[in-house]
Amino acid sequence: MLAYALRRVLSTLPVMAIVALFVFSLLYIAPGDPAVIIAGDQASPADVERIRANLGLDQPFLVQFGSWVWRLLHFDLGTSIFTSLPVSALIAQRIEPTLSLMMVTLCLTIIVAVPLGVVAAWKAGTWIDRVIMAFAVFGFSVPVFVVGYILAYVFALKFDWLPVQGYTPLAQGFWPWLQNLILPSVALGCVYIALIARITRAAMLEVLQQDYIRTARAKGLGQGGILFIHALKNAAVPIVTVVGIGIALLIGGAVVTESVFAIPGLGRLTIDAILRRDYPVIQGIVLLFSFVYVLVNLLIDITYTLVDPRIRY
Amino acid sequence: MDRRTVLKGLAGAGGLALTGFAAPAIAQGAAARTLRFVPQANLANFDPIWGTQYVVRNAAAMVWDTLYGIDDQFVPQRQMVESEEVSSDGLTWTFKLRPGLKFHDGTPVLAKDVVASLTRWSARDPMGLMLKAIQNELTAVDDKTFKWVLKQPYPKMLFALGKGNAPCAFIMPERIAQTDPFKQMTEYVGSGPFKFAKGEWVPGAKAVFEKFTDYVPREEKPVWLAGGKKVLVDRVEWVIMPDPATAAAALQNGEVDWWENPITDLVPVLKSNKNIGVDIGDPLGNVGSFRMNHLHAPFNNVKARQAILMALSQEDYMRALVGDDNALWKPLPGFFTPDTPLYTEAGGDILKGKRDFAGAKKLLEEAGYKGEPITCVVAQDQPITKAFGDVTADLLKKLGMNVDFVATDWGTVGARRAQKTPPAQGGWHMFHTWHAGADCINPAAYTALRANGDKAWFGWPTSEPVETEITNWFAAKSLDEEKAVAARINKAAIDDVVFAPTGFFLGYTAWRKTVSGVTKGPIPLFWGVSKTA
Repeated sequence: MLAYALRRVLSTLPVMAIVALFVFSLLYIAPGDPAVIIAGDQASPADVERIRANLGLDQPFLVQFGSWVWRLLHFDLGTSIFTSLPVSALIAQRIEPTLSLMMVTLCLTIIVAVPLGVVAAWKAGTWIDRVIMAFAVFGFSVPVFVVGYILAYVFALKFDWLPVQGYTPLAQGFWPWLQNLILPSVALGCVYIALIARITRAAMLEVLQQDYIRTARAKGLGQGGILFIHALKNAAVPIVTVVGIGIALLIGGAVVTESVFAIPGLGRLTIDAILRRDYPVIQGIVLLFSFVYVLVNLLIDITYTLVDPRIRY
Repeated sequence: MDRRTVLKGLAGAGGLALTGFAAPAIAQGAAARTLRFVPQANLANFDPIWGTQYVVRNAAAMVWDTLYGIDDQFVPQRQMVESEEVSSDGLTWTFKLRPGLKFHDGTPVLAKDVVASLTRWSARDPMGLMLKAIQNELTAVDDKTFKWVLKQPYPKMLFALGKGNAPCAFIMPERIAQTDPFKQMTEYVGSGPFKFAKGEWVPGAKAVFEKFTDYVPREEKPVWLAGGKKVLVDRVEWVIMPDPATAAAALQNGEVDWWENPITDLVPVLKSNKNIGVDIGDPLGNVGSFRMNHLHAPFNNVKARQAILMALSQEDYMRALVGDDNALWKPLPGFFTPDTPLYTEAGGDILKGKRDFAGAKKLLEEAGYKGEPITCVVAQDQPITKAFGDVTADLLKKLGMNVDFVATDWGTVGARRAQKTPPAQGGWHMFHTWHAGADCINPAAYTALRANGDKAWFGWPTSEPVETEITNWFAAKSLDEEKAVAARINKAAIDDVVFAPTGFFLGYTAWRKTVSGVTKGPIPLFWGVSKTA
């Protein structure tokens, strides 16, 4: 297993290199020029050119790409064009809020969605099943920002229970950290709760029709045992897959959520960088996200072997 | 569902629901001497010479002081300077710094710092460039005295040193000011009333300014950028809020104290909250701008540009932007900021009265327009340009023009508008923007009004009468003379349609009533502002 994991991690390197080349090329041909934005409205074309030269943006594509790759090989993600701060420092500043948001959302999603899916499958065709599935459709259909505004209105403005914006680092205490994350996590989690609840239900329904479940029932095993010990474990592979994909999708969802709740995370950093054409920052974040994506896929594969011993690599 | 509708509805409901509710625990726990402020935009960099965005200038005005500062009458008043003397031929200016000036690192402000700062500033600022072009020498005479010797008189010297238009002539320590003006500096040490807490800076999220206890304010009453900048709080925290509804909610429940520029849709909600004060923030407002490219047909023909002026309804543009709030806009049959000394409507009749579509169509025909596509580049991510672009598309269609509406983002507009190639080859016919009214009070910082062809602002208008009169303005020695020149500039700029003004508009600012001392000004002024718990 260790060899397999190592092989997988190593195999990510060419993938990331291709992603990096793709992203770099895309930005190179995309309209928009950071030097123009920096120079401001008063600047002459000569001023803009001087800024471009200072930033190295006047160099040919291959020179710029080569220099970026060279820096990357030295574990240097470069320097932000706009803030003059190292990209790694900017990412480090922003990674905790985004990771926290993703983690709390994921915990919330699994805690709520899996039991809902199991219950819906157990009570398939009843009003309980219909209510849960109606909730799933609602969660899927309503945009994150709408849920966010409703939550902020009810729990921050009306009842004054939770803050409406911002982020408190975990180092400043668990509750201050958590209270800033509850509303955004619920807003962001709605979609994933809906998705995972539906997948869990479908997977459970399939398993519940298997012979060994019938046998378990015939042996007089209780409903809880059947559902959570026998059925859920065997339905886990698709659920784990969707949870994994959900983690990757959370990165996208975090962009909107971080804006609505003014959380200083990677999502906002990405949007700001794109709007300003801050190439080194965009490249750094894309590389990071690519790595996370590959890593999540690896973790999913490893988890398969844990939940289903028949799977071997 | 429309995002803006949801936002407005929910924020509105929030405002109503909040009436009668006390500020939440989270707000009560905050230090009363920390003022939390939501600025107009993200503070992504912090070099006021390298980058000239308004938000950078506003932050810089807290950290760096200027030699002079303009007051609400647009008169430069002494700020870091104790006295100045100009030779009888107007060529030699000698300035003496006032005592007690210190940088945030504890070192005294010396004449050599001023010389280095002015050298860097004059490489980037339009007025600075003019001064540089006629400079004989700029030298430190002693620690407290510096001298600027010119080849010809420059009557607007003090205005140049005190103006609030970016880039301002901020004074920095020599070692920092020696940074290439086209490279960003990384040390933010000033002698202004606030110190920048670089360690707490999260670009895109938070910027913190601490009171500089060694700052010695002037004795005079503070007025705009002039007078005694007395700081009454310990810290000012800039909290960047990308979402207006979140900013409104945060202001309502006391998580922030002051929101620089609430969007028009949310102002009624804020006004209905008894804990919040709302007023016009910057009385100099903004001048809306619809720019045509003078290099390419049909707008290389003045008749085509005049056709646009003849049909353009400023009210349509303004209503699209501010809705029904009449306090927020004024028609602008000219180019200078209303209610300022040089404001004039001379030659502006074409922008007044009933719109003449028949006359405009005739002019277009005379200009040789035959239905070619008109490339209108519109930044959809800026509410102001989005509103203007929609109105223009409608206007052009009514004029029978073939609109190629390019909806894009501001970053792309910024790069594309610099292209001089024909529209079919990546250039453009028109784009929209706006100019801070503070930049339009006179020709000094009004780059958009220049009509010197290749050197002019995007659109590259050429108008000899406009340029001649702008030169005359710089030489004018009295306000009456300036007013006469401004009237001639206005008429010439309208005749040649340097650009089309789409109206004058203002914006609100909002603050919790626990904050006092918020005043109207061209930038948010933090001195004199205090806060109770």
